[in-house]
Amino acid sequence: MEKIKEVLNKFDMEYVEDYKPTWVKAKLKNKDDITKVVEALKEIGVRSCSTVSPTDYPEENRMEINYFLEDIENKKNVWLKVDIERDLEKCEIDSITPILESADYHELESYSTFGVKFKGHPNLRYFLISADYYGKFPFRKDFDWDEHEKNVIENVNKISEEFFEEYEENEETMGHEGSRTVLHWGPTHPASGPIRLKVYTNGENIEKVEPDIGYVWRALEKLAERKDFIGTIVAVERICFMDNTNPMICYAQAVEEIAGKEITPFAKYMRVILGELGRTVSHLISLGGFFGTMGLQTFLMWCLDVREYFLDVLEDYSGARIATACIEPGGVRYPLNDYKAWFAEIDKAIEKWESVKPDIEDIFLKNPLMTVRAKDIGIFTKDDVIDNYLQGPIARASNVKTDVRLDEPYAAYGELKMDYVTCENGDTRDRLYIIYKEINQSIDLMKQAMKKIEEGIEAGEMDPKKDHLVKMPRRMPEGEAVSRVEWARGEMLMHLVTMPKSTNPYRLKLKAPSVNHTRMLEKLLPNHTLSDIPLLYGSMHICQGDLDR
Amino acid sequence: MLFQISEKMLRVLKAWTEPRIATKDVVKEPAHKSPIFRGRHVVRYDICTGCDACNKICPVDAIKMKPLPLKRPNKIPEVNLAICIFCGLCEDVCPTKPEKAIKLAGGDIEMITDGTHNALDNFWVRVEVPEEWIEQKKREEEEKARKRAEMMAKKKAEAEAKKKAEAAKATENKEAPENKGEEK
Ligand code: SF4
Ligand code: SF4
Repeated sequence: MEKIKEVLNKFDMEYVEDYKPTWVKAKLKNKDDITKVVEALKEIGVRSCSTVSPTDYPEENRMEINYFLEDIENKKNVWLKVDIERDLEKCEIDSITPILESADYHELESYSTFGVKFKGHPNLRYFLISADYYGKFPFRKDFDWDEHEKNVIENVNKISEEFFEEYEENEETMGHEGSRTVLHWGPTHPASGPIRLKVYTNGENIEKVEPDIGYVWRALEKLAERKDFIGTIVAVERICFMDNTNPMICYAQAVEEIAGKEITPFAKYMRVILGELGRTVSHLISLGGFFGTMGLQTFLMWCLDVREYFLDVLEDYSGARIATACIEPGGVRYPLNDYKAWFAEIDKAIEKWESVKPDIEDIFLKNPLMTVRAKDIGIFTKDDVIDNYLQGPIARASNVKTDVRLDEPYAAYGELKMDYVTCENGDTRDRLYIIYKEINQSIDLMKQAMKKIEEGIEAGEMDPKKDHLVKMPRRMPEGEAVSRVEWARGEMLMHLVTMPKSTNPYRLKLKAPSVNHTRMLEKLLPNHTLSDIPLLYGSMHICQGDLDR
Repeated sequence: MLFQISEKMLRVLKAWTEPRIATKDVVKEPAHKSPIFRGRHVVRYDICTGCDACNKICPVDAIKMKPLPLKRPNKIPEVNLAICIFCGLCEDVCPTKPEKAIKLAGGDIEMITDGTHNALDNFWVRVEVPEEWIEQKKREEEEKARKRAEMMAKKKAEAEAKKKAEAAKATENKEAPENKGEEK
């Protein structure tokens, strides 16, 4: 910490201050210094860029860029701000991608949504939005959505025509050298989900891959600005339907921090249970989906069967199975009227999982065919993980000890017993094993939290019928907060900005892990064959919902 | 080896004795139904106060307020189910007690349309308010209004009477000293 501050203080800063135990917050005066600062920080170990988040202030004619930089190994993070001008011609800053490559896609995103030009970016292009996007830069405060919509409806045929042209066959013969073809993998491939990979192949060898994303872009960050503080939960929970609860925890924490409210211990433990339920539900799909990408759907069906039991639990608590909307600022949304019955339901789901575990291990995890295909390919080293900022299970499969639940304990994780679960090799098979291990860890955490709640109720310290919510102010004070949770697929970070006496968020940046994982495909897939794409892709556990947002 | 094989065969054979699970018609009866399942809304026109809170909080603008020719409720919510995301926030904010005037919990799960555009346009929770009820309510309201008017009139009359009395008193009082003066 001290070292980081020392380095930052060498530059011309408006302020350098501590923020939470693991963050240093600083504001740079001169935007031309940015590359030098980042270089200096990289030298002392801050090697990963979590995200880049601009905030638009039209009245003051400035755009504030927030960089979130992390030192994964030593758990020290830097929140660096810098102001730039807002006018489109002058809205530019030096790119940090040449120094920290994990900033790549995040800078592209800021460029496409806010129009911030990053000078020196290796390939600055429109991302998420298409090149002919009417009006440009949809997250700026003065963007006219009605006008945009009108234009799209008028020109829809022209737009789709261009899209078809791009899909036309593209082949080049090279005599005895083979032939070069551009293949479009997805967006309708059974294993792909709504993403398109442009795969440049020579024969069946992959030479280059370009992900084309944005098929499920819903502009959630902008959508949140139109809703009130409670209504925003339905926007953030739609980041991805698989792990539905954790994004709401992240958002609720940010709001509570700005309002200066502390939630009850009961709500904290409930958040642990609900968060782990979300993680389990998501991991069960990942686990089955891994085999699904190899063409074996049986295991997927098994996993979905177990998942139903966990969804029953969510339904019993919140009244919905997938989009639960069950966590709101101030605690958790519903009281637990009959906690014994609900815990019994959880136990039933856990029992179901335990009953299929021996078969899963025998038939699938030790499966010789899977081992042949997945062992020792697609290995990520520790440096790969840190430089490209791979997160969550992917990082832990490569034996990198990172987990927000332990690094920056939130909810009640600080009071529970847990440790980093890791695998040794970081190959494709390990990225399957880690998921299996994490489900078991989640179930252990759920059991611990249930026990704590039971003890609390018996001791008369918790009241499950009343303690679920604390009252939140109707209007928020001015403020800014960063909140992180360990989501099923990695670190989720939200940056919330509010105005004085506001009823809705001024800016909500959602950062989700699939962005970096998709970027990693560019490096992972070349030099493999076409038949490896589904497997390697499946092993990254990418979800387009959180990739596009 | 032989033992292992027979063990596995046994395990497979055991599957025969497992109960057949697919004996339920899930269209009619769900495999699992929570008593608070958020399904189709029920709107109670008789307790709704027309406060507009549900309409204001709905994050997707699925609620449209239908005007009524009454003072209270002067409008009641109708929900477009093709837009609604079943978040339940409208139920949370509804201020009526003890029962909520708009309610999803325990609601209907059978919400199937044939999926054509026309069908989606008509996929609404409509509230049929019986004419008699409106008439009765109107009468009640008129009654109330009349009573209030009467009360007001009465009060006014009383107040005026009081004023007059006071004024009279004042004049009396005024007159009194004069009288006294005269007497003196
Ligand atoms: S359930 Fe949610 S989306 Fe549906 S009408 Fe109520 S507030 Fe609106
Ligand atoms: S249903 Fe409830 S919230 Fe909606 S207008 Fe009626 S009383 Fe108000």
